[in-house]
Amino acid sequence: MKRNLKITPEGTKDFLFAECSAMDDICGKIEGVFRSRGFKKVITPGIEFFDVFSVNCSGISQESMYKLTDNKGRLLVVRPDSTLPIARMVSSRLSNSTLPVRLYYKQAVYRNNPTLTGRRNEFMQMGVELLGVEEGIRPDLEILSTALSSISSIADDFRIELGHARVFDALSAELDIDENYKEKIRLSIESKNYSALNNLLDKLNPCKAVSAIRRLPSLFGGEEVFDKAYEICKGTGAVFALDYLSKIYNNLLPLGLGEKLIIDLGLVQRNDYYTGIVFCGYINGIGDAVISGGRYDKLLSEFDKPMGAAGFAIDTDAITIKRLSDKNSGYSDNPEVLIFANDGFEIEAINEVSRLNEIGIKAQFSVLPTLSQTKDFAHQRGIPEVREIG
Amino acid sequence: MKPIRIALTKGRLEKTTIELLEKIGYNCDEVKNKGRRLILPVGNNDFEVVLAKAADVITYVEHGVCDLGVVGKDTILENGSSFYELADLGFGKCRFALATKKDSDFYGGYNTKTIATKYPNVTRSFFDDKNMDVRIIKIEGSVELAPLVGLADGIVDIVETGSTLKANGLEVIEWVTDISARLIANTASLKLRKKEIEELQNKLEAVTL
Repeated sequence: MKRNLKITPEGTKDFLFAECSAMDDICGKIEGVFRSRGFKKVITPGIEFFDVFSVNCSGISQESMYKLTDNKGRLLVVRPDSTLPIARMVSSRLSNSTLPVRLYYKQAVYRNNPTLTGRRNEFMQMGVELLGVEEGIRPDLEILSTALSSISSIADDFRIELGHARVFDALSAELDIDENYKEKIRLSIESKNYSALNNLLDKLNPCKAVSAIRRLPSLFGGEEVFDKAYEICKGTGAVFALDYLSKIYNNLLPLGLGEKLIIDLGLVQRNDYYTGIVFCGYINGIGDAVISGGRYDKLLSEFDKPMGAAGFAIDTDAITIKRLSDKNSGYSDNPEVLIFANDGFEIEAINEVSRLNEIGIKAQFSVLPTLSQTKDFAHQRGIPEVREIG
Repeated sequence: MKPIRIALTKGRLEKTTIELLEKIGYNCDEVKNKGRRLILPVGNNDFEVVLAKAADVITYVEHGVCDLGVVGKDTILENGSSFYELADLGFGKCRFALATKKDSDFYGGYNTKTIATKYPNVTRSFFDDKNMDVRIIKIEGSVELAPLVGLADGIVDIVETGSTLKANGLEVIEWVTDISARLIANTASLKLRKKEIEELQNKLEAVTL
């Protein structure tokens, strides 16, 4: 039998040196934002019962989860997402705490992606969840501004796009179609697939909602989107969602985001999960969204503890990879000075290392037995200076 | 700013796309005289063209190393996952069809049918929609051979004129779906470079109409 002794499973990797420094740096900055906003850290188990992720509207497909069984034969999964375990936790261990609760996490999630696509099957995610909130703009603004502070702490060139789950909900509710057909329409909006969308809509009786849905995927951009959207959604149930969205948008204007804030009414991702605002964040140079989040008021009812909630997750691994590919990313692990101790001066040398590190010089104690070996090592590693003590 | 990068499916789709780009006023001489190069500038460095095999066009766009792509709907149906499908460019038209030996009763009887195809995913979803269990065998070359030598009861394949089928005594018993060239975009690129991409898309759609 072939032994997989020296390789890691597909979609996983070791992180070495500069990769770890870059990841710590990025996660540290984001963690700083989360903490300053009053979010408290939680860690959930790496394995959970399958049931936690098979609730309605979880949006996580069975195929994408790594499964195992416990010794009673019950089905377990390796954590594919952090929000559902947090919902479980809030509905049980935190069920008597004063609401709202502000939680953040920094933990890996695992997805069994199709093979040979180059996707990561294990990746670090950081995110916040604000649970037990009422309807209204305050919690949404808090979550959005936390997302904005987080992304701007690690990148300059980014976009945040903002939509509302109820726009599509309200419009599709006015059509006489079953859930399957609705899902087909939603998918074609999600992928901005105009031709498939048109084919689906052409089969329906023309009405205001049909023509509005037809235009949804193209309704993204700046403030001008609202004018167009109001025009095509007039008289439909989507108007209240537009009102709400424009209120949020206007509240965010003083932040001076300009082109960085986009409205996208075609944002219909996980539409059965999100119930209000939805948003995604993009960074130049990364081909996929690095932030996704929104309002999910239905989820906690699945855990018999109905409450409003909002949150988002950041794909910090993608940002780390991008950061390392930038020139002059500046993550060097080399010390500036290597300290060699002659016999009997070891502790003195170690104290010198501490002293130098305290004043900001990266120093390292040489564990090699002789000065010449230390010098050779420094030469090979490109460490500029060797100091001899004693 | 880096020029927009477009992945084109090598061969016929590439040629037609280049014709379209010339029609809307971009100089494509570099692409026409490409030699062995795979990345080529278009116009006054307005964008770059990358030439790739159909399925790879999707891969490059999905990973964001190319912003746009031109690829057949057949490849999208078989390999697609997450990207935006912006426009039907209207050329490269053909159809997916289910074909069997002439005068055979494909849907009759209780035995599970065997289908030979180059497109197992398309085939799987076509029969899933019919709630029909079929055995699917992936074939790399001329699929028409499979029913003739008795490997399969039918085939799912791309049909343009139908002359190959006819010459081998096969006939189309059902059309699966229409196919044509599509303009696809990376999800992040469309958000980050909306203006440039929309401008090009509008121009392309204007000449294809």
